Amino acid sequence: MRLIFHLDLDAFFVSVERILNPKLKGKPVIVGGDPKYGRGVVAACSYEARQYGLHSAMPIRTAYRLCPHGIYIHGSHGEYSRFSDAVENILKKYAPIVEQASIDEFYLDMTGCQKIYGSMFSFASFIQKEVWRKLSLPCSIGIGSNKTIAKIASDCMKPMGITYVLPGMEKEFLAPMPVETIPGVGKVTLRDLNSKAIYKICDITNLPQEYFAAAYGKYGIDLWRKANGEGSEYLTIRTAQKSISKETTFDEDITSDDFLKKTLFELSGKICQSIRDYGWVASTVNIKLRYSDFQTLTRARSIKPTDDDKIIFETAWSLLSKAHTRRVGVRLIGVGLTNFSEYSEQEFLFEDEDIKRKKMFRAVTRIRDKYGFDMIKLPTP
Amino acid sequence: MSKYHIGTAGWSYKDWVPSFYPKNQSAGFDWLQFYSHYFNCVEVNSTYYTYISPQIVDGWIRKISDADDFLFTIKLHQDFTHKKDFDQQKIKAVSFNLDTLAKAERLGGLLIQFPYSFPFDNSTADYIIKLKNIFQTYNCFVEVRHKSWLKKEALEMFKKLNLTYCTIDQPQIGEAIQFEPIITNDKAYLRFHGRNVKAWLQSINNFGKQQSYTEQSERYKYLYSPGELVEIDQKIKSIQEKVKEVYVIMNNHPQGDAIANAFELIHLLEEKDKVPMPSTIVKAYPRLEEIQLLN
Repeated sequence: MRLIFHLDLDAFFVSVERILNPKLKGKPVIVGGDPKYGRGVVAACSYEARQYGLHSAMPIRTAYRLCPHGIYIHGSHGEYSRFSDAVENILKKYAPIVEQASIDEFYLDMTGCQKIYGSMFSFASFIQKEVWRKLSLPCSIGIGSNKTIAKIASDCMKPMGITYVLPGMEKEFLAPMPVETIPGVGKVTLRDLNSKAIYKICDITNLPQEYFAAAYGKYGIDLWRKANGEGSEYLTIRTAQKSISKETTFDEDITSDDFLKKTLFELSGKICQSIRDYGWVASTVNIKLRYSDFQTLTRARSIKPTDDDKIIFETAWSLLSKAHTRRVGVRLIGVGLTNFSEYSEQEFLFEDEDIKRKKMFRAVTRIRDKYGFDMIKLPTP
Repeated sequence: MSKYHIGTAGWSYKDWVPSFYPKNQSAGFDWLQFYSHYFNCVEVNSTYYTYISPQIVDGWIRKISDADDFLFTIKLHQDFTHKKDFDQQKIKAVSFNLDTLAKAERLGGLLIQFPYSFPFDNSTADYIIKLKNIFQTYNCFVEVRHKSWLKKEALEMFKKLNLTYCTIDQPQIGEAIQFEPIITNDKAYLRFHGRNVKAWLQSINNFGKQQSYTEQSERYKYLYSPGELVEIDQKIKSIQEKVKEVYVIMNNHPQGDAIANAFELIHLLEEKDKVPMPSTIVKAYPRLEEIQLLN
């Protein structure tokens, strides 16, 4: 079971503006467009301004009509970035993996960290105080078993709130909430859901997944899963490199499936070694297949983030064997990985799954670091 | 945790009245004494232009006698760093004052500042060695401004000679070194020149021309924003465990910007919730109200 924090800086732009000009404290402050010209939308507004019905993304003209005495500021975007980076630096001191989701939102993967920090609620309180003490920025923190739950939880007790959704309680936590609480449910979807008498999240979970698959396709399945408390458990890290791939052009066109399989296995091993060197795991596998007549096919599949040769190879082979339908010689094959996240050592330390296998890969990596890639070979399939 | 010496480059600026020094000053009011009530360090820049008389140095020591930890860092005369025209008499004139301060336990060290037109090569490296040999008994903080000094061999030379590499923040023009603290011995010395690119470029164009004080100092006119200060705070803290002492000198002096920023850095670096400061500076820089310690 993973443990994810979502840290949301409360009215972030307004908080920074108040650091720049403390006289704005306690006043209705609106950051965004220029009300004189009635252009733009509210990027952020203080809690004092929200009492007049203002909210983010509201047209500035409407905001001005509701709160004409508010203080309207265009925004100091360079300062927002600096403070956001400063928050990230603080979080990186304590959390093994930090994902900056936006300028004012961060996910922390704290899986296994109870053994270091003790109670996660107390730790969240410590982080909240640390960000306040060092930067004078208020924030709310949600804790859950995945990113969706953590994000929804952080929004429950704003400002300066902490909400911990205990593992196993996700569905109950979400049940009474309006469907628009689920991230990604916009106005159009909301209208459509309401037209189907779906108002609360429990209205979704009371229906079978197939209903949403039929109504909305892949998005519907995702919506149903989120309503049931499921969500992404892995954090995405910023890497300069977006993908890693290896490909081979054969000296002569290949017709033997066994030979293709063996080649793909070797290529998979090499790219897995590369991402292990970086300390990453990948969640998308893609393959490339070029026939002798230069027709080129590519295929991709999402998987649970991994750096395991076996899983990457099996996924790649499954994609390749399905794509390879012509009785024509193959000129080139390739395998690639994208959507990287950081390898989570704490999962390795504290969770049981595949521990032996992971230990073996760490050992293989160490040997290859010392003696080169070819010093140790894994058994071919 | 290392000790912080936070202050400004110079204390005698007329345009710090009334933003720091009060407008109505009694007969015995002394600027250095007033300054030393709030800061524990000052960088003396007048020594770059003139050979200060020993009596003046004695006067400084007397004036800061109430400030227990107060230290002076002395900028080496331009004859040594820019004109490269010095003799035994000039060396003695500098050393005598340094020894006076050292004897009184008021000397932080000697700042040896070279211009942008002093890139790293064999001759400049030899010149630094020469100066180090002359002033080897003092802590030497060496400021270079050209990127070529970031080469490994240049920094190795600093380490070998036990010189403190002076980290600077300056407007980013040409091959100017970017702000990134570098450690070469057990001290860190950081100087903040502001980020006024426009005025800095203007000053390059006006080089050699007759200019007023305001025109000359315009390139240092820059108030660091809270976000920039937070960045600086985090970067300095990332090196604080590696050194025993950290000197932080604000050189963005026009109108008191350096004073305001120095108070803000005391608040951030020393993690003081509230900082003692005079009401004059809070009036000139209202954002300081949040961190002012009221008596």
